[in-house]
Order: sequence, then C-alpha cells, then structure tokens
Amino acid sequence: MDNTLIKMQSLCRFYTMGDQVVKALDNIDLTFNRNEYVAIMGPSGSGKSTLMNIIGCLDTPSAGTYELNGQNVSEMDDDELAKIRNREIGFVFQTFNLLPRLNCLRNVELPLIYAGINAEERSMRALDTLQQVGLGDRVNHKPSELSGGQIQRVAIARALINKPSLILADEPTGNLDTSTSRDIMTIFSELSKAGNTIILITHEEDIAQYTHRFIRLRDGKIESDTAH
Amino acid sequence: MKQFRQETYESLLMAVDQIRGNKTRSFLTTLGVIIGIVSITMMGTAINGIDAGFEKSLAMIGYDVVYVQKSPWGSMNQWWRYRNRPDLKTEYAGQINRIIADNPGSGLDIAVPQMSSHRASVSYKERNLLQVFVMGTNADYLQTASGDLSEGRFFLPHESDSGSMVCLIGSDIATGLFPDEPALGREIKLKNGKFRIIGVFRKQGKFLGLFSFDNQIIIPLNAFKKVYGSKMYVTIRIKIKENVAVTDANEEIRGIMRRLRRLPPEKKDDFSINEQQAFKSQLAPIKNGIAIAGIFITGMSLFVGAIGIMNITFVSVKERTKEIGLRKALGARRRTILMQFLIESVTICLLGGAIGLVTALSITAGIGEMLPDFPIQFSFPLVMISLVVSVLTGIISGLAPAISASKLDPADSLRYE
Repeated sequence: MDNTLIKMQSLCRFYTMGDQVVKALDNIDLTFNRNEYVAIMGPSGSGKSTLMNIIGCLDTPSAGTYELNGQNVSEMDDDELAKIRNREIGFVFQTFNLLPRLNCLRNVELPLIYAGINAEERSMRALDTLQQVGLGDRVNHKPSELSGGQIQRVAIARALINKPSLILADEPTGNLDTSTSRDIMTIFSELSKAGNTIILITHEEDIAQYTHRFIRLRDGKIESDTAH
Repeated sequence: MKQFRQETYESLLMAVDQIRGNKTRSFLTTLGVIIGIVSITMMGTAINGIDAGFEKSLAMIGYDVVYVQKSPWGSMNQWWRYRNRPDLKTEYAGQINRIIADNPGSGLDIAVPQMSSHRASVSYKERNLLQVFVMGTNADYLQTASGDLSEGRFFLPHESDSGSMVCLIGSDIATGLFPDEPALGREIKLKNGKFRIIGVFRKQGKFLGLFSFDNQIIIPLNAFKKVYGSKMYVTIRIKIKENVAVTDANEEIRGIMRRLRRLPPEKKDDFSINEQQAFKSQLAPIKNGIAIAGIFITGMSLFVGAIGIMNITFVSVKERTKEIGLRKALGARRRTILMQFLIESVTICLLGGAIGLVTALSITAGIGEMLPDFPIQFSFPLVMISLVVSVLTGIISGLAPAISASKLDPADSLRYE
C-alpha cells in the first residue's frame, strides 16, 4: 500500500474581495504520509484556515491538485465531498461543535447516520468509542452537563467513530485551560501511536511540540517544514 | 433506499426534538395552519351535516311519494305565474285510483287526497295554539306518509267517508294543549268544530328545520270541508310502486292529470308535480355558498400560515447555520439537509393539522351538545383531506428555506457565529 495519504501539487486558493484577488494559498506543494503527526502553524491571515478547509474537503482549490487517499478531491462536487468527509476525515474543532440537544451517544453517532449505518450498530460503535476516550460512564449526558475537557473528548470520539484515514484538529485546545489541554494532547499522542494520521492546526508553540513535524505558513506560502 | 429511509427517520427525530425545544415558537408558527384546518373541517362538517339533515328530512316526506299541487315548490317569489291556474279537486284522487286500477302496468300505487290550512288555530278549554297545520285526508293517508302513532289509531274508512269529527295530533300539539294530562279521548276545537282525539303521533322532528310534522292535526277530509269549506289548498299525494323511477311515474301522472283536466296537446300543464328532488336543487346554491366561503377562509389562513412557517424556517436555518455546517462537515449531503428542514416544516404543519382537527372535533361536539337539532357530520375523508392539506402546506412553505439551507457552504457555516 502506498504510504502517501495526502498529496498537494501547486495548490492555490484565491478569494475575490471586491475587485481585489486575495491569494490565501499560493502554490503549495505538500505531502503527508500515513501515521504522520503534523502541526500546521502560522499567524492569523497566514492561510492556515484555508489550508485546513481544503485538507478537510470543506473547500476546493482554485488551482492545482489535491489527492486524498488516492482520490482526486479537487474536482469533486458537493455531495461527493460530503461522502469523502464522512469516510476519510474526523474533525475536531476549537469550539467543539457538539449539538447541545443531543446526548453524548447521539452526538458521537452523527457521522454514522450519514454513512447509512443502522441504529443498533451505531450505538454499539458510539459506546465503544466513548469508552476509548474514557467517557463510557457519560453516554447519556448532554454537552451542557460536561466540562470543557470532557466535551472535547466527546468530539474526539465523534472524529474517531468512522475510522477515518485522517484526524483534522483545528485549534483543539484553544478553548481549554493548560492542564485540560495537556490531557487532550495526550489523547492525540496515543491516537498517533495507535497508527492514526493527525493534522493539527494551531498557533501555540507548546501544543505544536507534541507533534513530529511543523509546517509554518506565512502569507499563503510555506515558510518552513521541519521534522521534530 | 435504506439509507434514505434511515435519514428520513433521523430527520423526523431531529424535527420532533427541534419542535420540542421551541414549543411556543412552533405553536405560534402553526397557528395559521390550525385555523385553516379548523375552517376546512368546519366547512366540510357543515356541508355534510346539511346533506345528512336533508336526507333525514327527505325520508320524512318519503322518497316514493310525489305531490300534485297547483304550483311548484319553491315558487313563492313567482306566485303570480301560477295564480290563475285552476284549483285542484280532491276528487282527482279517486279518479286517479280508478285509472290505476284499470291499468295493470301502472307505476303508481295509490292516490290520496289532502286539503290543508297552514294557519289554523286549535284550542282546548282556555289553551290555544296558533299557526297549526291542519289537513283533511282519507284513511289511506298513512300509506303515503311516514310517522308512527305513539298512542291511539288512525281513522277508519267509514269515519273518513262520513266525515266523523275525530282527529290525530302531532306530538307538539299534544304537549302544547295537554301538558299534564293524556290527550287521547279529549275534544279539541278547530274553528267551530269539536274533534275527538283518537291518535297521537310520535315526535318526528323538523323538516329541513322549517316545517314540523309535530305541529299538525289530521282530520277526515269530509270533516275538513265541513269546518273550513272546500276552497282550501288541495294536494293529491301519490305513492309510486317499488322499483319505479320517479321520472317515469311523473310522466304517467302528467298524462293522467292532463286527461282529467282535458288539456289539448298545445296547452301547457296547469298543475305541478312536486317531489323531493325540488328541494335538492334548492339546496345546491346554499352548499356552494358555504363551500366558496369556506375555501376562501381556509385558503387565506393557510396562505398566511404558510408564510409564517416559511419565515420561521428561514430564521431557524439562520440560527442553525453552524449546526448545518457541522452536519455537512460530518458528511451530510445536500439532500439530507434539505430533507431535515422539509420534514421539520411538514411535522409542524401536521401537528397544526392534528390540533386543528381536534379543535374542530370538539367544537362540533360542543355544537351537537347544545343544539341537538343542528345537523352535524364529521367524516373520515375530511380528516384525510385536512392531513393532506397540512402536509402540502408544510412542503410548500418549507421548500425555499430548506433549499437555502442545503446550499450553505460548510466552511463558512462552521465559522458562522
């Protein structure tokens, strides 16, 4: 099996603001292998959010190609992208993005609903995954009844449930205190050790220290790409 | 297909959840639909009720009895057209019966004469009733009329031939004149004649809510002529044989009447053959009026309701932009999001429809309780129509917001605050 998971070639993303064209990403060439643990860093406006959107198949490049797990994503339409996101990517967000009215189990199940998996298997797998992140005893709680760290662990469980080829975490500790952040980062490290590919978007150096490769962006270009 | 079903089911759960989370808003939103469904069912119920009450009334005058009279029913506003027609004679009944007897193929059964006064008054001791319907007829009357006797008997052929001073009274007259004593055997006074009560009719109710059979007195024809004279309004009641079409019978009666009247072919009929069909044609415009008014009210309230639902669904889409973004990020397709919002608006409308139905049902029951005479009929097709209308309203009002939700860009929506 090819060890390359993500391959970007001369990838660009332009926005038009009025009559000005903003080059959010300018000629990016990047390759990620399976089981890599990467941090993408950069100040705001550097293009890291745009890059995350493209890696996460939430957006498509204006030019260049993006291949994820052997599939050319650049040309896909909305519904095909939805399918790819569902199968290949597990998202973890800074603001957690759990649905407040659903309990943990139902929140974690969500991606499986869109994958068309039946209710029985869904709740079984959701329960399993919640146990993996240490929340087996909180399945019936609603997000409002949990602490920030617990909520983010539910979100991680949701990202894991589809056994995605890539976990994409956007500032996962941005809304957490230092010790909780450490707990969450420990989970990510364990996931990496277990063979998952993780891409972390962050602007915090100490969070990036947990990863094995730093990519720094500035003005839509790669400023540096170093192993750690 | 299986996935579609699963998504639909999930959408339904989410919709119920969403509605539960916003009870007040959902209720206010669906108010228009509730009003629409109440008006649609009330209208339908009224029309059904009129029909049912009408059928009940028609059964009273009999499907198989036609009435030969000087003027057609429902011609009050054109009385001058029929004023100059010669009056009918009670003797026609006997002549018709002889013709029927001579003709074994006749579709007619029997003819019974009737002479009547609409505005008679009746008294017993110091009690007095006005506006009573008095009719004189013969012993065959019961063959052409519905109505059971609660006590006593009808008069016999020899009583009617000799013009005995006996009478049968309707139940309202019995209770009016004899509130706390038995009526049978008493003598009541009609004009200057004293009549002994030999029978009392069971209560029948009002005919079309206008004319009451319970407010009539029946006496032998010859006695009627003695008391009221022979210039009163004559009706020949003719019963049709079973399985004979009313139109055929009417033709036969027409031929017989023209023969009796010796009308040359070029002359028009100078009599009218009345039957219950005449009432039906009079009723149609009333029903149409109710239907048009009802459809207008229903349409307006559903229209307003639909706009309300559209509006609130747009608000809901806006409020849940982030949720939509998240769902899309997790793999929800356009179709899924579309379905979710569509099902939500349909569910709200269906709920409104159900509330409307229950409301209409209780109003109907309430009216039925208060006015037992008021004809009311709640029907299954009405329930179905209401539910279909609710679903359609939901789809129409939810479509535009649902499409806009399904087209949201996931990356932008996720960042929406």
